[in-house]
Amino acid sequence: MMLDRLKLYIFNLYFYTLFILLSAIVISALTVFVTVLGLFFLPPRKTYKRFRRAISWYGKTIMAIPFPFIRIRYDRLEKEGKGPYIFVCNHRSAIDAFLIGALPNELVQIVNVWPFRIPVLGIYARFSGYLNIRMMPREEFMLKASQLISEGVSIVFFPEGTRSINKKMGSFHGAAFRLALASKASVVPLCISGTESILPKGSALLRPGLIRIRQMRAIPWDEYKQLTAFALKNRVWKILDQELSKMENMA
Amino acid sequence: MTEQEIIEKTNKVFEESFEIEKERLVPQAHIFTDLGLDSLDIVDLVVALQNSFGVKIRNEEGVRDIRTLQDIYQFISSIKNEDMKKST
Repeated sequence: MMLDRLKLYIFNLYFYTLFILLSAIVISALTVFVTVLGLFFLPPRKTYKRFRRAISWYGKTIMAIPFPFIRIRYDRLEKEGKGPYIFVCNHRSAIDAFLIGALPNELVQIVNVWPFRIPVLGIYARFSGYLNIRMMPREEFMLKASQLISEGVSIVFFPEGTRSINKKMGSFHGAAFRLALASKASVVPLCISGTESILPKGSALLRPGLIRIRQMRAIPWDEYKQLTAFALKNRVWKILDQELSKMENMA
Repeated sequence: MTEQEIIEKTNKVFEESFEIEKERLVPQAHIFTDLGLDSLDIVDLVVALQNSFGVKIRNEEGVRDIRTLQDIYQFISSIKNEDMKKST
């Protein structure tokens, strides 16, 4: 028991040391890279695209640090299609946001207040167009998010609004689904399983384990255009709930 | 239109437009806490009720006071009564 605890502390010391070091190196390198591209070679739209890709790479790099103690399995049930999509994810852990880097799409996340307050990363989040749904009027949010979709950028929502404290998914807020109906973007349910035991809510200690991300089939606008936002919200909730149960019963 | 018809038609709106199960549609059900609607869903609800009952819902104060299904039944009933008075 004591030995297990010691191993856990050593693992975390290893992870957090590399996390800080790599964050400093990767963020600096990517900043220089994207700034040079933006200033001398690329138009603004492409610079944003590179910037968002850089953030994805940062997420991938961070999640590669604890390998093989923490492994990530990403299944995509539908191979074709590039989006833009509205990704709807369940939310159990603070590391969920980093995992989104596994997705191949250019994307921005809809976040709470606190990510904007993280030193350096907060500036990155703001610059890359991440939207804080709690700090802007609904109309402005819809306008900005629709604009991003029209530029081909996918939007990632954690519609529970907060991390769930156990495997039971909370009820969803409706913004993702109102945006879907207004923008006609396809909705993609994304199941994230395993993060609740790797970095549970209320803990800073990482634990070894397997994270599984399952990207479900995209639901095109034609399939949901007749629904109200409320009905669409509940349908997507059920898809995620059923698939998570399936994934976790098989695990 | 009888009270029972208003209840049945209103419940049908909740079943079809909001996909809420029949057994949850009891008169005392709170539309926010029990049925899970939010303030923006009310816009969709008003549109669906207008289409279903063929009425115009303009009384914003009345809409704002709606809390339970029973409130909706009464609200629709009062609109229907007003419409009848106007037409006679």
